[in-house]
Amino acid sequence: MSAIAMDIRRNRLMLSYLIVAVLLVLLAVAGGFLSDRFLTWRNIGNLLQQLIVLGMVSLGQTFVVLMGGIDLAIGSLVGALTVFLANFLEWRPDLVWLALPLALIAATGVGAINGLLTVVLRVHPLIVTLGMSSIIFGGTLMYRKEPGGSVPRAFADIAYTKVGGIPISAIVLVVIFALAGLWLQRTRTGRSIYFAGGDREAARLNGLPVDRIVVLAYALSGLCAGIAAIFLTARTGVGDPRIGVALTLQSVTPVVVGGTILAGGRGGVLGTFLGVLLVTMLNSLLNFVNVSSYYQWVIQGLIILIAVGIHSSRRK
Amino acid sequence: MTPLDTPMQRSQSISIASVFERYGLVIFLVALMVVAAIASPTFLRPANLVNVLTIAAPLGMVVVGQTFVILVRGLDLSVASLMATVAVLATAFKATTNEAIPMIFIAAIALSAMVGLVNGWLVAKRNVSPFLATLAMMIILQGARFAYTGGAPISTLPPGMGFLASGRVLGIPVNLITLAFLAIAFGIVLHRSRLGREIFMVGSNPKAAFLNGVAPDRVVILCYVICSVCAGIGGLFLLGYVGTVSNWVGQGYELDSIVAAVMGGVALSGGRGNVFAALLGVAVLVVINNLVLLLGFPIEMQLIIKGIIIIGAAAFYRTRLA
Repeated sequence: MSAIAMDIRRNRLMLSYLIVAVLLVLLAVAGGFLSDRFLTWRNIGNLLQQLIVLGMVSLGQTFVVLMGGIDLAIGSLVGALTVFLANFLEWRPDLVWLALPLALIAATGVGAINGLLTVVLRVHPLIVTLGMSSIIFGGTLMYRKEPGGSVPRAFADIAYTKVGGIPISAIVLVVIFALAGLWLQRTRTGRSIYFAGGDREAARLNGLPVDRIVVLAYALSGLCAGIAAIFLTARTGVGDPRIGVALTLQSVTPVVVGGTILAGGRGGVLGTFLGVLLVTMLNSLLNFVNVSSYYQWVIQGLIILIAVGIHSSRRK
Repeated sequence: MTPLDTPMQRSQSISIASVFERYGLVIFLVALMVVAAIASPTFLRPANLVNVLTIAAPLGMVVVGQTFVILVRGLDLSVASLMATVAVLATAFKATTNEAIPMIFIAAIALSAMVGLVNGWLVAKRNVSPFLATLAMMIILQGARFAYTGGAPISTLPPGMGFLASGRVLGIPVNLITLAFLAIAFGIVLHRSRLGREIFMVGSNPKAAFLNGVAPDRVVILCYVICSVCAGIGGLFLLGYVGTVSNWVGQGYELDSIVAAVMGGVALSGGRGNVFAALLGVAVLVVINNLVLLLGFPIEMQLIIKGIIIIGAAAFYRTRLA
């Protein structure tokens, strides 16, 4: 019985992936019609280059949402890390090898603290991460109010270097997504994230270390934010405390579009990946046809609602 | 649990607990004020106190509404965006005389009610999580607003709006009087009326509420409408206070209103809370903000303290009532 239910769920998920994939193709075709520069290598290269930041924060959000939580501290964390990286590297451009691991460790640590707070205090993750976001943002602003700092050329290169016409950042992103997908599907720990998000009590009764899984998911989200911040700093060359403000919400959209609904326990990284592609492509297309970024907000909101509407009616 | 298992008893024991919570917050507020008075002689000056309360009034209005939504296990992240959008709408009349003020209020309330209706419909009828529904609404309103203004600030306002926001009648700020009216009216609705009882029922157990002949969907939608209308009114008063629409009027009020409500003991799990305690939460929040300034700390420290408070308060009430 449950096997059949699983099967139906799986098929539905596949169907929603298919819908998103079809939408992607339609967008590409529409883009090709609307502008003869849209489907050029140059623009596709640009698109691919932009993927990594949104891709990484959305991946982090996916881990947390799968486990049944939400991470609203992602944006502030990314902002704080870009400030750290740019200022550190301005001070000691030769210490890139030290700055990057430090940033990743700090990011993972902040994520783990988010997880620990929800576990220990038993407070809703929305409140914990919202509070955490405010703390991080305030702390960053106390240190630097305006964008500043600089990065050495060699570091900036990681955002722009291409191999065979494809940006390294896009390759990194695909590899990380593939590893994440394999980890979630094929390993015990990875699968336990789904269980914790599905029915937490059942997971606990089955002897899963639910609390540890929660902390792990948030730590992974922090790590992903760290990777996003590294590429973002490399691309922009400055540390901007406010750069992440919009990123938190943006990280949610692909997760919703990809069908990893906020109830947790369903979905996966493939859906998120398709969601990231869809959002990035749509924004690029809207830029091409000169739709102001104001309307892009409206459209982003509508996308969330439509995606949620589709997925929630499928659930019934 | 039998159906007869004492809703009476439950509500009684909860009200004792909530009274206790309320006094805890009062003690905290008094302690804060003592600290503030010691730290800075300016604090207890009437001018400063009135100033603090004037700033608090629009936030108070939002919190009254936010309380309704949280009581039915919801959350409204679109309040701040709605406040700014209402402010833009108010300037859209390009009115320079006070005759336009009733029109502005009617339009603002109508728009707010519509926004609340959509939020509530999404949550109640379409099963969208409150977080996502109001988040999407927040972005949509933001986009619509910016598309209209093109991002530029506007300041065409009837002079009366400024009076509403910072004028005084018999020495009492008009916006405080309005807040008091709003709080008492909605407080009566919530704590003394049939609808209020239905809201608490839906918040603590929607299924039981349904079995008792309450239509949970209708109640939830109504709560979102009330929340949006309160936010819209708060937006108008804040606009009058600020004087210009910068497209970001009310930014941060979504977090602040939730912080205040949670501090006031409104349970995020629904079904427990009190409008007036939530307003005490507002008082604590603004006193803290004022204290940060009086002590000469950088203003960003308010963000840090707010973050710590919201997590701490949520944890506090959680362990208290577990």
